[in-house]
Amino acid sequence: MGDSINCREAHARLHDYLKQELTPELAEEVRAHLEKCRPCFKEARFEQSFLVMLATTSRKTSCPGKLREKILTALRAEMERG
Amino acid sequence: MQPGYILSMAEPTTAGPQFDAEALPHLDALYRVALRLTSDPSQAEDLVQDTMLKAYRAWRQYRPGTNARGWLLTILRNTFINDYRRRKLEPVATDIEAVEPHALYRHVEEVDPEGAFFSQIVDDKVLEAVDALPPDFREVLVLSDMEGMSYGEIAEALHIPVGTVKSRLFRARRQLQTALYQYAVETGIIPARETHHG
Ligand SMILES: [Zn+2]
Repeated sequence: MGDSINCREAHARLHDYLKQELTPELAEEVRAHLEKCRPCFKEARFEQSFLVMLATTSRKTSCPGKLREKILTALRAEMERG
Repeated sequence: MQPGYILSMAEPTTAGPQFDAEALPHLDALYRVALRLTSDPSQAEDLVQDTMLKAYRAWRQYRPGTNARGWLLTILRNTFINDYRRRKLEPVATDIEAVEPHALYRHVEEVDPEGAFFSQIVDDKVLEAVDALPPDFREVLVLSDMEGMSYGEIAEALHIPVGTVKSRLFRARRQLQTALYQYAVETGIIPARETHHG
């Protein structure tokens, strides 16, 4: 465990870690740090709540059926025009 | 060359089944992003329809099996900037360090260490707070944290470096968290923190 990262480095990579944007090596360093550092683990959990909430909120909206129909009709008209 | 082209040999100029299969599944994402960019449901509808028609006409420029969502979102965004946004991007307060609030976690770790308050705020208020972000920030936050696009995909769609995506995201998240926190305090979802002196 010679090259473990400190809290500052873990903090700087936290969002990228949660978004799975780190290389496997960097992600592993963060994961190992969170496992042994309670304050950073708690902060990660807090940030995770925020990101999960945003993704969940977003998924509740979908394209209205009427709009979908309108678009398909417009596309068909466009196709017939050639 | 592409199997899809064999199917559409009778009408080589139409996008047909391949367009349906690759583009239509992204209507939900396009509509959501359009809503956030325009903050207006009827404009969002027009924007999605314009986007799909442009995509259809430009379909031969799309390489089948690549990132259809990114390709469509690029068209949506260009259409929005060119035809919908009333004024060209005013150089937004994007680069003013002074407006950056501090990390919210430090502020609320005693009252709500798990960030439970985030999911207690009604969806409409969350979306309102997203819409209130400066346009450059809002855009990356919507694409990344609401639509799940990777930093690389966003950089490509917006023609900006990945580093810019990351710095805008960092600021967007901080501003949004601060706004949501303020709302949560105002509405009593979480208690206001006592002010410490010194
Ligand atoms: Zn730590």
